[in-house]
Parts: sequence; structure tokens; C-alpha cells
Amino acid sequence: MENLDPMFKPKSIAIVGASRDPHSIGFSVVKNLIDSKYQGKIFPVNPKADEILDLKCYHSVLEIPEDVDLGIITVPASVTPSVIEECGKKGIKGVAVIASGFSEVGREDLEEKIVGIAKSYGMRILGPNIVGIMSNPMKMNASFGPYLPYPGKITMISQSGALLIALDSRTWVDRVGMSYLVSIGNMSDLDFADVIDYFKNDEETKCISLYVEGIKNGRKFIDVSKKILEKPIVALKSGVSTRGSLAAASHTGSLAGSGKVYSAAFKQAGVVQAYTLDDLFDRSLALSLQPPMRGENLLIITNGGGVGVLATDAAEKYGIPLKDPPEDLKQKLKEIMPDFGSAKNPVDITGMASAEWYGKALKIALQHPWVDGVTVLYCETSVSDPRELSMEIFEATNCNRTNKPVTVSYIGGEVTERAIEWLQKKGVPVYRAPDRAISAMASLREYGRYIEKGFDEFNRFEDVDNEKVRGNF
Amino acid sequence: MEAKEILDSYKVPVAKTRLARTKDDALKLLEEMNYPLVAKIVSPNVIHKSDVGGVILNIKTKDELSAAYDKIISNVKSKVPNAEIIGIAIQEMAPQGTESIIGATKDVQFGPTIMFGLGGIFVEVMKDVSFRIAPFSKSTAIDMIKELNGKAILEGTRGEKPKDIEALSEAISRISQLVTDFPIIKELDANPTLVYENGIKVVDARIILDKK
Repeated sequence: MENLDPMFKPKSIAIVGASRDPHSIGFSVVKNLIDSKYQGKIFPVNPKADEILDLKCYHSVLEIPEDVDLGIITVPASVTPSVIEECGKKGIKGVAVIASGFSEVGREDLEEKIVGIAKSYGMRILGPNIVGIMSNPMKMNASFGPYLPYPGKITMISQSGALLIALDSRTWVDRVGMSYLVSIGNMSDLDFADVIDYFKNDEETKCISLYVEGIKNGRKFIDVSKKILEKPIVALKSGVSTRGSLAAASHTGSLAGSGKVYSAAFKQAGVVQAYTLDDLFDRSLALSLQPPMRGENLLIITNGGGVGVLATDAAEKYGIPLKDPPEDLKQKLKEIMPDFGSAKNPVDITGMASAEWYGKALKIALQHPWVDGVTVLYCETSVSDPRELSMEIFEATNCNRTNKPVTVSYIGGEVTERAIEWLQKKGVPVYRAPDRAISAMASLREYGRYIEKGFDEFNRFEDVDNEKVRGNF
Repeated sequence: MEAKEILDSYKVPVAKTRLARTKDDALKLLEEMNYPLVAKIVSPNVIHKSDVGGVILNIKTKDELSAAYDKIISNVKSKVPNAEIIGIAIQEMAPQGTESIIGATKDVQFGPTIMFGLGGIFVEVMKDVSFRIAPFSKSTAIDMIKELNGKAILEGTRGEKPKDIEALSEAISRISQLVTDFPIIKELDANPTLVYENGIKVVDARIILDKK
């Protein structure tokens, strides 16, 4: 796998099409790099300017006296080929082409042209038709998005530019942290498989998340992804529609639909699937913060029967149905709750529960060999303080050396919100509804199952008569 | 018929079928076939054979075969007068088994894709189907089978013994290799594929070729 460091960890960036016009993209990209405190060299390029934002502006990349790792191209599509040619001559290793007006509007020819030029110089292209690249570890906002995302360990790769900008902002509201946000655009050169393959080795990435509209080389995607078991990959596929309306000549043709085929492909690729935007965020958060669930036994601890039932329903729906815990575990749990509590699954420690009871129950659960994962459900009551609960949960998970995942659901008001924020910063994913906490745990189990299964080698059947087959055509 | 030959070349168990162009041929074929037999019209102008009296089941003797041959020809000649009659297919009748369908189609992004389903003639109503991108191993085929809502039918339920999931998964995997190695195959239906406690049998199959 070729080194894409110049693209994603550049030491120097040239912005071709940089501009003094504050309303232009060429201006935004330069400003964003400065504002995000990018530590590498920034070289604006514009034949008609000598200085932009107090930086020396060059008239061509060829005039830049130093090496340039990454070129951000903000000029229109029509002049992009000649710009790419110059970047190639300069020895730039990677270019991110922001402009639209390529294959997405029918100009495949223009797109093929820039790919051809880049190839002749051994240069890689991200895009075209992208927003850019955002990186927290590099303090690099090489895009026209407003600011870097909330920091964390998710690397998200999006095929939609507009959605990426929106998700960037949303990370701050939801406090779902990203390492990199990559806009992949038309995938004229680098595709999902290439970028996934790069980030599997990135230390600052614990989970790779995808927003997919269409995968160009399906087989390659499966072959690359299925071998990556060390990091979870989660994908949201949009545009699932049936081809059933088309008259198909066979039963198979009429039953196949792109949604089902993509789901099959994701299973074979070892990719966890998300079904909505909320789901993508929820699952990415859990997969980036918690270890995979290594068995089927989920224990739920709750202070409310209602949310316990909702979680039970969700557990069945998401493929991790609840089971009865063994007697000795039930006995231990009964000791920390009043008589009218229940040690069946969900474990109901009652509405009287204090943070301390939760802490004890959670420690008992995590230490018991039967338990593979725990979901803690909390309803804010007047006899408990959610902030204390967060501290208890953190303490229990922190001293837990068995590496079992925990997801949490809090339902409450303002004080609860602060408690959510605190606990999430400590690395425990917290959701505002029981079914979301369960869906998150289910994604940890799905990842766990992929790890256990390993990847499937196809062994050819050699005893077949290919000649006879050909004869029949 | 060729579709079954192709599957046979890939060691997928198929109901033995031979084409008889004349009645004499048909009677000669009895030497290599086992009763009971099915006789079916072979004509490019007849798609729904049963509808025109073009299928006769449960043939157990030489006389019955002779009569069946004549009956089918006369039925078809009267119902589809201008039909080009190539001959009569003589097929070994498969015993009753669990009806399933193994299919293949070509996806624009992922290429050859295999489908497996339960439900016999009602498969399009039940929609109890699973998919995988070809080619894949037997163990992936087993995953496909276990994904179905009706998987208990194959695993054995209501006093019935488990069916031969081993043989079924091997056949599915072989077919996945077939469509991968021969991209000229655009669509394939092995329907019905009967599943028994021991073994499977593809009773009917169609293959549609890519015109390009």
C-alpha cells in the first residue's frame, strides 16, 4: 500500500486558486489553515496576487522554493488539468481537488484527463468535487468547512460534501469526537478502499466511519475491508432502492435490490452497518470508545422498569437478546438492592437506587465471567445525582481489567446533560434513550462477531468441467 | 436443459434429463434412466409447459412413456399449432423435498451475486431470501442459509429431521464459482432446488446469457 502521508499528514500545503476575495473558497481554505493552527508550511498560489492573509503568494507552484506535500486545488474544473500538470512537475505527491464540474455533471472526459496527468507523475488525487480534509491531530482544516470537528478518535469518510460540513458542526453538539473528516467526492482516483487502507494504520483513528452513496469497485472494497479486523469499520449506505419495478427475467433479478446487495457486501467485508445518520453517530461513538463485545451475554442494570422493558425489546431487535444470568451472579446482585428489586435481566435496582448502588452492581457484573457487556440505564430521580453516577460508572469501568464494553443511557434534565458530557469525555458512550444504548452495544457485538469469525478464504473447486460448460453456451 | 448440463459440469446434483427427438429415442433412453419419470415438451415457443398439457408426471412403464410421448405432442400441436417442437425431455422424477431456490444475478457495483431462498413457487411472495457477493466459500453459504426466517425448516422442525445443509452449502458455493468464472452468465435460477436429509437435487434451471 502506497504511502498517503503527503495527502493526510502533509508537512507543507500549496493552495492553488488562493484568493484575496473573502467570499471565495480560495480564501476560506487559506484562512482555515491559519485559524486551525496548522504547523506546516502554507503556500498560497495565485498568478494575480503577491500576498494573501499576510502570507507570500506565489504565481505558480513551480515558483515555490521548497518541497510541497499536498496541493489543494480550488480553481474551476476547466483549468484544473493544467494546474495538475504543474503540480506534477513540481513533484507534489497528492492533490485534493475541490472544484465540481467533473463526472458528476457528465464531464467524465475532464475527470479522466486529470487522473491521467496525475498518474504520469505518480501523484494521487482526492476528489474532485470535495469539501477538503479536516484533521484534529494535524490541526489542519484544509477545507472550506467552518472549523475542525469536536476532537476524538473517529475518522469519517463522506461521499457527500454538504453532509460532511453539517456533520462537522453536529459533532460539537453531540460531542461525538473525530480525528479526521475526509471528503471523498467523485472518487476519480482514491476510493473508499484506498482511504480505509491508509487509516487502518493511523494511531489517532480508533474507528473508521463511512457515509456511502455508491462504491465503484465493490470487489476491491470487500477484499480490503475484510482483512481489517484490528479496527472497526461502520457504514451508512444511502440510496437503497429496489430494482423490483424493472421487469426482471428471473426470480433472482426481481428479488435483488441494491439495499440487500450492499448489506450482503458489508457482511462479507466485516463492516458494521448503520441505518440512519443518528445510528451512524451512535455506533461510531461506541466503536471508537469501547472494546468489542466478545460473547452474547448482555446484562442490563436499570433503576426503572419502563426503560428496562424498552431496552429488552431493543436487545431482541438488534440481535443480542437478553438471557437469564446464572444463580451466583443473581445472588451477588440481590445483596446490593432492596427486596423488591430484581436480579433477573434487566437487573432492576429500583427507583430508590443511589449512584453507589449502581457502582456496586456494575463492578459485580464486570467481574463475573458470564457477563460479556453491560448497558446501564438511568432515569434521573430526586434521590440520585447523575454526576455522582457518572463518577461511579467511570470508576467501575476504569478498574475493570477484563475489557468488557459498557454503554449507558441517561434520561433527565440539565444536570443530567452535564453528567453525560463528563462521562463521555471519560470514554464511556452515553445516549439519551435506552434503545440507542442497546443499538450501540449491538454494534460492538457485531464487530466482536466479525473478529471471532475471521475472514473467509474462498477455496476453488478444481473438479469442475469448464470445457463442458463452454460447450453448452 | 443446457442449464442443467452446466450445473452438472460443476458437480451440482441435477435431476437427470435427456432429450428425445423421436419416440424411438425416448424408448431407448429408458435403458439409462430410473423410474418414475417426467416427460416435458421442449420447444422455444412454449414457456409455460404445464399450461398447454406439455408435462406428464409419474411415468412408470415403457407403455406409459410411449403414451405420454404421443399425448404431449398432440396437446402441444392443438394448443400451440405453430410451435417448433424440438423433442421431449425425459427426466428422472425427484422425490419430494424442501423446495428452495438458488439464483445468481449481476450487480452493477459488486458483480456476480448469489441469492438463496425458501418458499418454492411463493418465493416472490415470502421474500425469505439472502444474498452474498460471489465467489465465496461453503461457510459463507452456511451463513446465508442461517440468515433466513425459515431456517428452522432446513435445520429440522415439527418432527422432521435436519436437511443436508452441507450439500446445499457446497452447491451454493460451486454456483458462486461458476458465475464468477463465466461472466457471460447474466442471470441464473436453479428453481426448484430440492433439499433432502441426504443430498439435494436441482429439478429445473434457467440461465440467461449476457448479450454483450
